[in-house]
Amino acid sequence: MKTYNNLKLLLAGLILTTAACQPTIDTPAPSKGSADFSNYIAVGNSLTAGYADNGLYLEGQQNSYPSIIAKQLKAVGGGEFKQPLFTEAQSNGSGYLKLGGFNADGTPKIVPVADKLAGRGEFDAPGFGKVQLYTKFTGDINNYGVPGIKLQQITFAPYGNLNGYFERLLPGNAGTNNTTYLDFVTAKPFTFFTNWLGNNDALGYATSGGVGDALTPKDQFAGLYNLLIQKLTANGAKGAVATIPDVSAIPFLTTVTVKALLDGAKKVNPAAQAIFIQTAAGTRAATDEDLITLSFNSTGLFGKPDAQMRPYGLHPGNPIQSQYVLDKVEVANARDYVASYNATIKSIAAAKGLAVFDAYTFLNGLGGNGIDIDGVRVSAKFITGNAFSLDGVHLTPKGYAIVANEFIKAINATYGSSIPKANLADYRAVRFP
Amino acid sequence: MIKKLLLGASLALPAITFAQGFQVNLQGQKQIGMAGAGAGTAMDGAAVFFNPGAVSMLKENQVNLGVSPLFFKSAFLKSGSSTVENNVDEIAPPFEAYGVWGPKSGKYKLAIGAYTPFGGLVNWGDEWSGKYALISLDLKAIYIQPTLSVKITDNIGIGAGFVYNHGQVKLQKAVPISQANGKDSKATLDGAGEGYGWNAGIYFKTLSGITIGVTHRSKVVTKLKGGDVIFEGPDYVKNNFATKFDSQLPLPATTSLGFGFYPSTKTTVAFDVNWVHWSVYKELAFDYDNNNNTTPPADSKSPRNYGDGASIKLGINQQQTDKLALRAGIGYAFTPVKDGYVTPEAPDANRLILSAGLGYDISKKFSLDLSFLYEAIKERKQTNIETGLNGTFKTHVYIPGIGVNYKF
Repeated sequence: MKTYNNLKLLLAGLILTTAACQPTIDTPAPSKGSADFSNYIAVGNSLTAGYADNGLYLEGQQNSYPSIIAKQLKAVGGGEFKQPLFTEAQSNGSGYLKLGGFNADGTPKIVPVADKLAGRGEFDAPGFGKVQLYTKFTGDINNYGVPGIKLQQITFAPYGNLNGYFERLLPGNAGTNNTTYLDFVTAKPFTFFTNWLGNNDALGYATSGGVGDALTPKDQFAGLYNLLIQKLTANGAKGAVATIPDVSAIPFLTTVTVKALLDGAKKVNPAAQAIFIQTAAGTRAATDEDLITLSFNSTGLFGKPDAQMRPYGLHPGNPIQSQYVLDKVEVANARDYVASYNATIKSIAAAKGLAVFDAYTFLNGLGGNGIDIDGVRVSAKFITGNAFSLDGVHLTPKGYAIVANEFIKAINATYGSSIPKANLADYRAVRFP
Repeated sequence: MIKKLLLGASLALPAITFAQGFQVNLQGQKQIGMAGAGAGTAMDGAAVFFNPGAVSMLKENQVNLGVSPLFFKSAFLKSGSSTVENNVDEIAPPFEAYGVWGPKSGKYKLAIGAYTPFGGLVNWGDEWSGKYALISLDLKAIYIQPTLSVKITDNIGIGAGFVYNHGQVKLQKAVPISQANGKDSKATLDGAGEGYGWNAGIYFKTLSGITIGVTHRSKVVTKLKGGDVIFEGPDYVKNNFATKFDSQLPLPATTSLGFGFYPSTKTTVAFDVNWVHWSVYKELAFDYDNNNNTTPPADSKSPRNYGDGASIKLGINQQQTDKLALRAGIGYAFTPVKDGYVTPEAPDANRLILSAGLGYDISKKFSLDLSFLYEAIKERKQTNIETGLNGTFKTHVYIPGIGVNYKF
């Protein structure tokens, strides 16, 4: 009996101890490698600011990729990361778009959110036009993302009077500002930076159908990029930069296709033969190589007859206007410039030993059916792709978390650090009603 | 113009993965104590499962009942993360029940067994990083097996049983469609079905005293018809979401060769080699009532490309006193899951099995068995081909068990 009792005790003990213990997996020790993340700043445009759904609002700011990176940097000596957040009372900032529901045919109803805004009137800039102003932000800033800014404008002193998002960060009122963006972001000390400027130097041209804006000249881009990186690294800071995505990698230019328009037209009139577009070389029938903007979808112009009963876009005499079309020639033009910009970015980054997140290659990889990341299908498809927000240009929180992880990957590879990646499952995609 | 944005059936729910992890080697408390070896021995009514041919060699008529609460402890470290995630504690209750009856010293025995050869209960919660691959899975297969076993000579027994399976599966995962509150949607598949198969074996007593068993349990394809698809999320998606699914649980065949050695009258050593025919499963198909694939989720055919699984097990039973038997065992199982197909449902890898057990005769008729089985599933770093889930899994399984036996 003694043996039995001992065994029983042994078994009971075994059950109690083992049943409570979890298997363990060794985690890599957090390391900052050769970088110092204690004071991180983010330089960039709308993508950096957390702009989404055609607006800058509090939730978007809170899910900006720099803020996600900063959260992950905490494990490797990252310090506080301050963002110019809108207040809770003005949490909808500039206003934005949301999904209001769906039409019977499955198309989305996209509606504006216009309460709790942060507007503070307009400034009529001489020779420029009206500039929407926002409630000023005062306090320390680590995220210098300014929606709309081009690399071309970082040394332009009056810019603080022409961009409400930049004006908002400056102490002076519109009309009195003469601090350049470059001076502004480098005024306070920092140890590490990310820089994703340059998108708007090509994007403005692309989203306006090649007519509303001009591409920044290649040599000007190279000169300013050089200056920018010189200044950012002048005090020994290390950093990461990102390349510029291909214009046809964003749903803004890939969602409304020529084929979809024609298929739609054929349902109404089976005799419809072609979609007609206005280009610099005259009006012609559109092909799959011509890209239609997402904004065209909401104009309601398509198929509308003019005075002579010629349906819009379906008759050579009433073509889709140039501002809604990035035609084949314009696509090639934009691509040529983007390729040059990216060559510049990579060579300057290489010369300075900076980490590079190749957004161009990464976002092109989201084309077609996209890729699976941690069980989530991520693609460049509008709404269903999970990465892009309702404006078809900027990202969802999940999309920004993916970008943050790609930056982290590049930083870890370059500086031998081990910044843990963010958990994508914590970030939402397009919100459904 | 933006046609059928969501109805493009782009939303797929990957099928359940069947893996060695779902094979529950808990079919008899004595055998569990011996690492699950028992195809070549005739220890008790669990021979209905282990070798129907050995049932005819049992000396007494008997009833054996047992339960083995299973503690499945898994950990996951996503690549690039520094946070180890664990599954939620839930206890799965595999059980077994056998009844063996035949005329005293007769040539045949009738028997019936009910046992759970496959099952899984794993819940990772709805917050973890792999939630789009799986939140939880509750899979049960209950086999009921009426059996006839005949002693052809004093040294050869053969037996066969018909297997009826009642299978149940409930699978839950997050769907990356954000609701108005920013939370993910959730989809649940809940279905039950039936399948049929057989279990046959032959048992020899050799002149040298060694006993040998050869058994084959057939595959049991359990058809799930009209299972429920429950979608929790935005109304628009919900209204266009399938509500029923058909699929099948293809539970694989197992071939075993077992030996019993008897170095003394008090000692039994059992040694088994099992071959599990997982390789027949090249893909798993899920068919939804989705209007010919125009509404989500899309019908899915997931490649599995399994190899076969195998295990070797060695156990010892030592009759310590008249009433007390001590048992121990060791085994090793080779996973059928190839790289790229490991999932959080059953984070499979090769595993080491250690066991201990004891039996105690309370009276001439009643006896009690206690067992403890520990399985250490090797750490495995994987990128899943289907979901892209990338990280390291490590799992330990702790299974205490208790059984009662009544002989008559």
